[in-house]
Amino acid sequence: MNRPVFSHEAMNTYFEVSIASTDQLLARSAAAAAFRELDRLEAELSRFVESSDISRANRLGRGESTVIGDDALECLITAADAALATDRAFDPAYASERPPDLAADALPFTLDPAAHTLTSRTPRLRLDLGAVGKGYALDRMGAVLVEWGLPSACLNSGGSTALALAAPPDAPGWPVGVGEGPSREVLALANSALSGSGIAVQGAHLIDPRSGLAAARTHRAWSLAATGAVADALSTAFFILRDSEVADFCAAHPEIGAALASADAGLILHGALRDAPRFPAS
Amino acid sequence: MSEPVNPALTRRGFLSTSAKLGAVVMAAPYISRGASAGSDAINVALIGCGAQGRVLLNAAIKIPDLRFKAVCDIWPYNRTYCERLLGKFGHQAKPFEDYKEMLSAVPDLDAVIVATPDFYHAEHANGCMKAGKHVYCEKLMANTVENARSMVLTQRETKKLLQIGHQRRSNPRYQHALGKLVREGNILGRINNLSGQWNRAVSDDLVAPPSQVLPEAVLHKYGYANMHEFSNWRWFKKYAGGPISDLGAHQIDIYNWFLNATPKSVMASGGADYYKSHEWYDNVIAIYEFTTPTGPVRAQYQVLTTTSAGGGYHEYFMGDEGALKMSENPKYTKLYREARAPEWDQWVTKGWLKKPGEGEEGAAVAGKPWDKAEKPKFTMAAPRSSVVDVRETAALSAWDIPVTLDKPIHQPHLENFFDTVRGKTKLNCPADVAFASAITVLRVNEAVAAGAKLTFKPEDFVVA
Repeated sequence: MNRPVFSHEAMNTYFEVSIASTDQLLARSAAAAAFRELDRLEAELSRFVESSDISRANRLGRGESTVIGDDALECLITAADAALATDRAFDPAYASERPPDLAADALPFTLDPAAHTLTSRTPRLRLDLGAVGKGYALDRMGAVLVEWGLPSACLNSGGSTALALAAPPDAPGWPVGVGEGPSREVLALANSALSGSGIAVQGAHLIDPRSGLAAARTHRAWSLAATGAVADALSTAFFILRDSEVADFCAAHPEIGAALASADAGLILHGALRDAPRFPAS
Repeated sequence: MSEPVNPALTRRGFLSTSAKLGAVVMAAPYISRGASAGSDAINVALIGCGAQGRVLLNAAIKIPDLRFKAVCDIWPYNRTYCERLLGKFGHQAKPFEDYKEMLSAVPDLDAVIVATPDFYHAEHANGCMKAGKHVYCEKLMANTVENARSMVLTQRETKKLLQIGHQRRSNPRYQHALGKLVREGNILGRINNLSGQWNRAVSDDLVAPPSQVLPEAVLHKYGYANMHEFSNWRWFKKYAGGPISDLGAHQIDIYNWFLNATPKSVMASGGADYYKSHEWYDNVIAIYEFTTPTGPVRAQYQVLTTTSAGGGYHEYFMGDEGALKMSENPKYTKLYREARAPEWDQWVTKGWLKKPGEGEEGAAVAGKPWDKAEKPKFTMAAPRSSVVDVRETAALSAWDIPVTLDKPIHQPHLENFFDTVRGKTKLNCPADVAFASAITVLRVNEAVAAGAKLTFKPEDFVVA
């Protein structure tokens, strides 16, 4: 079934929304509401917006705190969790100064969810939600569509993270491609998110936060997770981690999937991506 | 790890271990912001939980020692959103449909934020002031001169505070630009002209989620013709003043403030030319004439709702030694020096100006991706280049204002209001100041309708 795609520019890329509905006016209105939510989130989460929570956090000195909104808090909790789980292969504070007394696996900030405060543990905190915020925005936009009575939709941010809500009525899921060249497969994605990381589009832009050196991987990595935010963060981590570390991570977290492209061996699948539903090869 | 004690950690699974996460996400004893407000906390209510109400609420919840005790909106959809948001911050705000019921049921309110459609501002602000509450009311002060006048009179009678939400008046960048650059340093020289604009792209009408449509009886009870007009009230004459009021009021207020004057005339053209489902003029171009101590000032203003061309929204003050382009968006804010002006280095030394191209202090430790440039949101095609254009002088260099607003843009104006409630300062936009701005703005629509140049008398701007 051919469905219209609604598009909107935000967070330095294009967001697209496809909705399974026969009521096109409703779909268009709901997409507009989702895009308003996206713009609101950019103002809260972008380090390029001077009045955002993240910009304000990036001006904190060591030991100083600031009140942050609920979205910055939620996104940072997800980011911190992904950072800790991947031993900082993904790190939202990668550009921060790390004081000598900060343990190698520790993060240079703390969060107090009850008081909605963020406290810096470094004289120079540099938070960047660029590798998790777009996925978080997809999650919030998906919630808007559900609120509008449109539970079946697929959203993506610049082609790098796709969030599928419920499958369309005429298919087992939303067609989302993973892999490159002959090993490319088309997943039937439903109620989960797929995110890809690579260096083909933006050049060598992925640095291992632990060493400060460019990532060794040259081919793309993908992650499958229940939410856009987690998938977004993990795809960055999987690009940084060694193949065996990705395999170990997926073994420890069965709900997560990974796909690693390689020059010779095609696509290597781990965890939940092995058994994920697919469309037959055409 | 001990039992999780705050809700953020209890509602989902995590990838990392609770011991690791607990070192970052502090499982401190659950003390929420609302609950921790001290004994001198100000008890606050919000009337109007729509788009602007949410913007104000999201800024206000970051201000210490406020206790939100009530939210009021006729639409449960919006009201519930604000109630939930406040709940996450530990405020137990009671929901109300009717503001009168709220005022009698929550008698210990100190202050009320009013963010309802413009035609309700007078009733809500006056009702709250008469009930003994201080009021922060969104701009435009009111949709009619009579309503705005009634608010000034009620404020005087009740002696309660009334702050109108022209939030740029509390923006530290604007305060610096006016106080230091324009007045103390006279960096622009003699200001002869102004231009300003708010240009935005075509947008669809707002539609409510189908499950959230209000019954007709409720809409009629509160004065709305139907759901379309309720959702898009800004475009209808019964409820508001149209784009010149919604958008233009921000900049036109800055004209009056920066010139320390009110205009002596206005001519304007506009029309409901593009949108078929609206009443108000969707494009308006106005010209004001001011008289200032240094001479006449002609000021152009345009609000266009079918194009994002021309760099969004700004107020542009043009003097014979320099020009100042002010915007709430720092990316649109610049100063330009005329070649005939004295050097500006002294202002850089004083910290009043930043030289062209000087970045922000304190670079990040890592290089990429931190240093990657943000792609411009909107790029125009480059003009065709000609070999020599002898009519044009060289482009002026762009200088920056070294003042950062690292809070939500409405927060300083709200802080100014609550600080005044505490007796610490004075309002930045009290009723009489906002009244003059409302007159300046509302007269534009009259000029369009009349197709004529309208004059102002100084007494027009003052409530006797």
